[in-house]
Amino acid sequence: MTAQIIVVTSGKGGVGKTTTSASLATGLAMAGKKVAVIDFDVGLRNLDLIMGCERRVVYDFVNVVHGEATLKQALIKDKRHDNLFVLAASQTRDKDALTQEGVEKVLEGLSEDGFDYVVCDSPAGIEKGAHLAMYFADQAVVVVNPEVSSVRDSDRILGLLASKTRRAERGDGAITQHLLLTRYNPTRVAAQEMLSVKDVEEILGISVIGVIPESENVLAASNAGVPVILDDNSIAGQAYGDTVARILGEERPLRFTEVTKKGFFQRVFGS
Amino acid sequence: MNAKMETSDACDLRFGQVGIACVRVRRPDAAALCDELERRVRSAPQLFSRAAVVLDLSHLLDLPDDGTVDALLEAVRSAGMLPVGLAYGTSETEALATRMGLPLIAKFRAAYEPEHGSVAPPAAAEPVRPAPAASAPAQIAPPAPPALGAQHHEGAVRSGQQVYARDRDLIVTGAIANGAEVIADGNIHVYGSLRGRAMAGAQGDEKVRIYVSDFRAELVAIAGHYRVFEQIPKELEGHPVQCWLDGEKLMIARL
Repeated sequence: MTAQIIVVTSGKGGVGKTTTSASLATGLAMAGKKVAVIDFDVGLRNLDLIMGCERRVVYDFVNVVHGEATLKQALIKDKRHDNLFVLAASQTRDKDALTQEGVEKVLEGLSEDGFDYVVCDSPAGIEKGAHLAMYFADQAVVVVNPEVSSVRDSDRILGLLASKTRRAERGDGAITQHLLLTRYNPTRVAAQEMLSVKDVEEILGISVIGVIPESENVLAASNAGVPVILDDNSIAGQAYGDTVARILGEERPLRFTEVTKKGFFQRVFGS
Repeated sequence: MNAKMETSDACDLRFGQVGIACVRVRRPDAAALCDELERRVRSAPQLFSRAAVVLDLSHLLDLPDDGTVDALLEAVRSAGMLPVGLAYGTSETEALATRMGLPLIAKFRAAYEPEHGSVAPPAAAEPVRPAPAASAPAQIAPPAPPALGAQHHEGAVRSGQQVYARDRDLIVTGAIANGAEVIADGNIHVYGSLRGRAMAGAQGDEKVRIYVSDFRAELVAIAGHYRVFEQIPKELEGHPVQCWLDGEKLMIARL
């Protein structure tokens, strides 16, 4: 059984790729899978911060690609889950430090080590880093915000996923594409300041695998170095939980996409 | 199949596609033709000077006599182009071409005139290939012109992608996103939303049309005449429409 490679990508920056990668990897690990999450954003490394392991990075992805360290040395075991590992990016190099052969070697190594899932956190843009992050993928989670520029960039990425990946080049069948809508604010959608789930699905022609509501808990969790999926009290965390379950094949209804009317007690006592 | 064995042959005989300009004669007036073509050559010498052209006489009501055709060919030559054959026509045109010592271009050969009930049906699906030397006498006729049909594109055309149908129509069954482009030398049919650009008649054919089932285009163009939509008219947005050329004007109307 080879590892399923999932790329988390978007085209546009700042839409929540790294937040999603961290929560997706953690969610898959909580479901009992052996998971590695790789930061492809060489030069602007962030994933280690969100995962809360930034002070334990000794060797990184670039070291492994260049044969300066073994996979075992570079994989950082998550402090909360034994079956979750982080491969950090190098902050002092740039994207040209990655090579297609090197990335392939790392992914094969992880597959041989018995990993079930490898989550690739893509950098923004469509240049080398993003290309290498998606090239070997079996599945893609395309993160999109409910606004027009993000939707257009995602459309471009969906096109690249269908043509510029190993599966496409070999004709091995299409990559499974998941659309994840993040930073969704039902109140602003109702006020027509944001695109609705339906709008985005219509423009991109595929349906969403999850909708993550805008929530202040996300920022707090990021700053604390705890993937937001571990915060059971936040609706964003619960929505990520639903999303991971759907990626694993479970059917769950969408939540947090409607404006919630405050109940009597909430109005009296505050929320 | 045994392509390697044939390397010792003196030549390969292949049917390939090469671009060639076609001079469609509207009236048998050699002087006017010369003037018009000279103007074209002057405006784009690198494109038209010494360009090989074929003469299309099929738009004339009657086939001109040999003297007139000679004059027309001479007019093309004196304008700076090189007539290499006749194109498109009936068996009379073929006879004329024989008398002129010019080929009738195979692609347009008059093999399927309606009055010729006995001719072979077009081998539409057959790829064009050289007829074997030992072919039956009944097949002396040139290979059938390839029925180009349409190019089909299944599914969406994503932002940044470009689809081009050369020498034929284009049919797209999905949506064309903002920033995506579909181009055809023939007509364009879109059975999804058109949010990007559609350009039909890319080689200058002004008779082609664009059909869209859900119109939200950034730009539509036919034979170089285009319209951009900063604001899509309310009566067109989201409706099925067709676009065509009325003279120089690009028309768009609901279906």
